[in-house]
Amino acid sequence: MMTGIEQFLADKGIYYLTFLLLSFGVYGIIACKNYMKKLICMNIMQVAAIVFFLSLGQKKGATIPVLIEGLTNADSYINPLTHALMLTAIVVSLGTTGVGLALLTRIREKFGSVEEDDIIRRQNKL
Amino acid sequence: MMRKVIGIIVIIVGLGYVFMSFDFLPVIGDSTAPAHTHVSDYYIENALRDTHSPNLVTAVLADYRGFDTLLETTVMFSAGVCAVMILGSKSHIRNRFLVPKKILKGKPEPGVSAYKTVNKDVMVTLIAIMILLYAIYVLLHGEVGPGGGFQAGALMALSYIVSMMIAPDTRPLFSLSKANAAALAGIGVFIYAFTGLLTVFNGGMFLEYGRLPFPVSNEYLHTIGIMLIEVGVTIGVMATIITILKAIIERVRFDDDRD
Amino acid sequence: MSPLIIEAILLLALIAITLAVIFNRDLLIVIITYCAFSFIAMFLYIVMSSPDVAFTEAVIGVISTIYFIITLRKIDRRCK
Repeated sequence: MMTGIEQFLADKGIYYLTFLLLSFGVYGIIACKNYMKKLICMNIMQVAAIVFFLSLGQKKGATIPVLIEGLTNADSYINPLTHALMLTAIVVSLGTTGVGLALLTRIREKFGSVEEDDIIRRQNKL
Repeated sequence: MMRKVIGIIVIIVGLGYVFMSFDFLPVIGDSTAPAHTHVSDYYIENALRDTHSPNLVTAVLADYRGFDTLLETTVMFSAGVCAVMILGSKSHIRNRFLVPKKILKGKPEPGVSAYKTVNKDVMVTLIAIMILLYAIYVLLHGEVGPGGGFQAGALMALSYIVSMMIAPDTRPLFSLSKANAAALAGIGVFIYAFTGLLTVFNGGMFLEYGRLPFPVSNEYLHTIGIMLIEVGVTIGVMATIITILKAIIERVRFDDDRD
Repeated sequence: MSPLIIEAILLLALIAITLAVIFNRDLLIVIITYCAFSFIAMFLYIVMSSPDVAFTEAVIGVISTIYFIITLRKIDRRCK
């Protein structure tokens, strides 16, 4: 029973859950009308992408990528390449969030709201 | 209503397509997967000889793929400059720029704290110093254990944020205005790029740490090179975070304010 | 318990928090929920045995929460 669940998860299950998370993020971006919620859903999508990359880099029975003395076999360490790539991706996401919030502040000043309906109404009135 | 239906349709079609075409993905934990066969084995087996850094992530991030990290730091710097440029327009409207310290100075302190023995200002000063010490520890031990330039920069910015937001009346550990912070981010990126240029001047390739012009053995040159670029990344990330924070916080106008 | 099962449980928690973010009407609650999201994501990265990424996520999650709350001073808390 337990090994069956593990086999399913290792085979496809983690990928299914990750893509479910990604698609809920897409749904949030499409369906929410508040711009701040859209930004948060964008960050959620990014976490899904990071989990996908990290699960590609895993090895069974391997340890974290910090070298231990006497253990130089390549199969004993998890792939460090995906970790390095995702580490910079997380930091850059902070920069995109900051620029998005700056744009949000400008939108609030110009249109008086961050709801999409109010902004479209205001735009038509102008 | 319409867009919810569109969203659900997009989810169902996308997930269906993805679930049906999932056969090419490897089993998780398989050590013969395509991600492990090309270049990562070389990184794992030769990192200690090439870079003298036991932490493989730092070795890949700062040495093997240093050019990549240079451009990531540049992206952070340009994000900070973008935030300043978006929020710094319309400079003739003076009253939109409010420095929070001036707002708080006029108002009396509301209420009495429940715990009279705990002084907020003293506690925050202590905590900020501890976070700063931890950031320096993370910066210096980035090659040995988990950590590195990005985390140390974010922790330093966090200590500044704590001392600025919780106790705005006290003197912070270091004070930075918006323009100075943006300039400091540029200095961080410059330190990184200048480390690469030093190796070029000495006859090597860009970011080839073995050619740094310091009179120590080859083993320590890599350590010095990684340390220099991590200091650059730390300064860049810290100053960018403070720049974006200041750019947003100085533009704040309360909802009950009248023009 | 195998790490894969813990990963699956944490991913289900992330999906539940995503639903809470989408269907909540109060932006402050949404932001605090997002802070919990990044906290659970940090545990997920630790279970996936990548301590560097987990460390970065822990610090960056706090700072992006601070950014959202600072912007919330400016915009309305209710959302339709």
